[in-house]
Amino acid sequence: MEQDRRAQWLRGVLDLCVLGTLAAGESYGYQLAQALDAAGLGPIQGGTLYPVLLRLQRAGLIAARWRGGESGPARKYYRLTAAGETTLRQAATDWSGFAGRVGAILSTGGTAVRTAAGGAQ
Amino acid sequence: MTKTLVVAEMAVREMARRRVVLIILLLLPLAFYLSRRGDQLGQSIRFVCLGLGWALSTAALFAGSAARTIEPRLRLSGYSARHLIAGRLAALWAVGVLLSAPYFLLVRLDQHDVRYGAIAAIMALTVLVSASFGLALSVVLPRELEGTLVLLAVVGLQMMLDPDDTSARVLPFWFSRELATYAVDHTGGGYLDRGLLHGVLAVAVLTALVAVAFRVRQGRRPHLRFEPLR
Amino acid sequence: MSRDAGGAPGAHGYRRGPMRTDGWLAALAAELHRHGLGSDLTGHVVAEAAAHLRDSGESPLAAFGPPDTYAAAVAASVGGPAPAPRGRVVGPVRLAARGITKRYRRRTVLADVDLTVRAGEVAAIIGANGSGKSTLLRICAGLARPDRGTVRIDGRLGYCPQDGGVSDFLTADEHFVLIGAGRGLDRSAARRAGLGDAAALDWAPKPGVQARHLSGGTRQKLNLALARLGTPDVLLLDEPYQGFDRGSYLDFWHQVWRWRDGGTAIVVVTHLLNQLDRVDTVLDLTRAEAAA
Repeated sequence: MEQDRRAQWLRGVLDLCVLGTLAAGESYGYQLAQALDAAGLGPIQGGTLYPVLLRLQRAGLIAARWRGGESGPARKYYRLTAAGETTLRQAATDWSGFAGRVGAILSTGGTAVRTAAGGAQ
Repeated sequence: MTKTLVVAEMAVREMARRRVVLIILLLLPLAFYLSRRGDQLGQSIRFVCLGLGWALSTAALFAGSAARTIEPRLRLSGYSARHLIAGRLAALWAVGVLLSAPYFLLVRLDQHDVRYGAIAAIMALTVLVSASFGLALSVVLPRELEGTLVLLAVVGLQMMLDPDDTSARVLPFWFSRELATYAVDHTGGGYLDRGLLHGVLAVAVLTALVAVAFRVRQGRRPHLRFEPLR
Repeated sequence: MSRDAGGAPGAHGYRRGPMRTDGWLAALAAELHRHGLGSDLTGHVVAEAAAHLRDSGESPLAAFGPPDTYAAAVAASVGGPAPAPRGRVVGPVRLAARGITKRYRRRTVLADVDLTVRAGEVAAIIGANGSGKSTLLRICAGLARPDRGTVRIDGRLGYCPQDGGVSDFLTADEHFVLIGAGRGLDRSAARRAGLGDAAALDWAPKPGVQARHLSGGTRQKLNLALARLGTPDVLLLDEPYQGFDRGSYLDFWHQVWRWRDGGTAIVVVTHLLNQLDRVDTVLDLTRAEAAA
């Protein structure tokens, strides 16, 4: 997949993906990055992820607390807030609708191109 | 007093940093001296004193011009005109004495049967006149080039004009030739008196010119008042 | 986002190649501070980055990029510097300019301009090129005369022009002593004050270096430190940040806020508008009206 376009798409949905991943439970930054990578989005750099987490926290969609210390160093854990859950549900609906429409255009457009090239109408 | 000393100290430091200029200034009078040393020993004394005057006036001109950019700040920082003028003059006198000392020694050792006291007087007055003259030029004229040209003209005229001509007395270094005549040719006291009088007068007039021109250039600022508000 | 593995330092002054984690984290803390983040938040951001680096085992430049880029991204996410602590005491009027009018030949550069600044306030003068910003400041500093109007100042005055104000053949130290003596400071006090202000602008003057050998931006830092020497009550700054890199520019504004909190009345001529929401008065000369 072309790198620039992938990065553009990711910029648009990364915050929602973070919300989606946190729905499964509390998590910290590096763990989130690994989960997103495993889910197929590719490696997410810390420089990209943490500003997103800060923005979500400032918007009140996630909340954070420091945990750990006994079995390892302290880490900042994030979890969804009620507002975050609402936003996630809404976003999921919006996204499937949006992605469906875009998909239709792309596949129809592809068919139209093939038809036109074939000379038939 | 401290303020004047600090101004003087910094002026000396500034001048000391311009190595090439200092070397040229140091060797210029030597060139003048050697140009006449062969056949006219007495003339060489007159020439070396003129060379000293030219070199020191140039140093004063450049020292004054270099200080222009920082002058508004100095004024704002609490220096008055007399601190700045007195400090710069003191620095120039110090440099002048350092520049003249080797030449006095040169004359002392190289020339015989001349009145050394008078020669010392010439050099002392030259230092004083040059400092004020160069500084005055830097204050009155906008850039160093104009000042240097004026200096060239003055020194040139000094060498060419007949000293007995009354118009020659207008030139700032006229005393130099009068006193040199007294020292070398062992003339009567008249030359000594005239020379000393002219020298002292030149110092007074040029220093007053510096003070007046400085105040004029700084300008009055009647619109600005420092006073407690409300 | 693509980023080359060794980091791309550009003009930041950080070393190329792998950066030790401690150094990177320290630099990050410094950059966050420059952006005005509170110390709490700075601590959290740095600690989280440290934890991430521990867990992932990556090098800082690979995971986050150069410290100043990451700090800028964080600052943008957080929404700008912390608001000024309210309840700051504003003092008596220190600068009162009334009815300043100035004409150059046929053109009226300043028309009946008023400006009042109190101790502990910052006023910004903005406007297009040629709108008379520098002229107004020079008139307030007493370096130019208006055709009409008066300027009254309560206390000592400091002025920093866009360039100049510095003696080519003297070192920074000598400048501090010279200006300090005018302000009544002895040598060591003058040096300490000057070096302190220089350090706040991220500059450590090397002894024995004459001003003519300094770069343009560094000369301006000297210019600014000299204007501030002796803590004047009124400080007039005419875009003094010429030649500053981005970090120094942020440092400059930090200093302005700190001087303001210390009770100085400050006037800054600027046409960079991103700090305007933190100043107390804005005088827009293009529209020839004062907005408070």
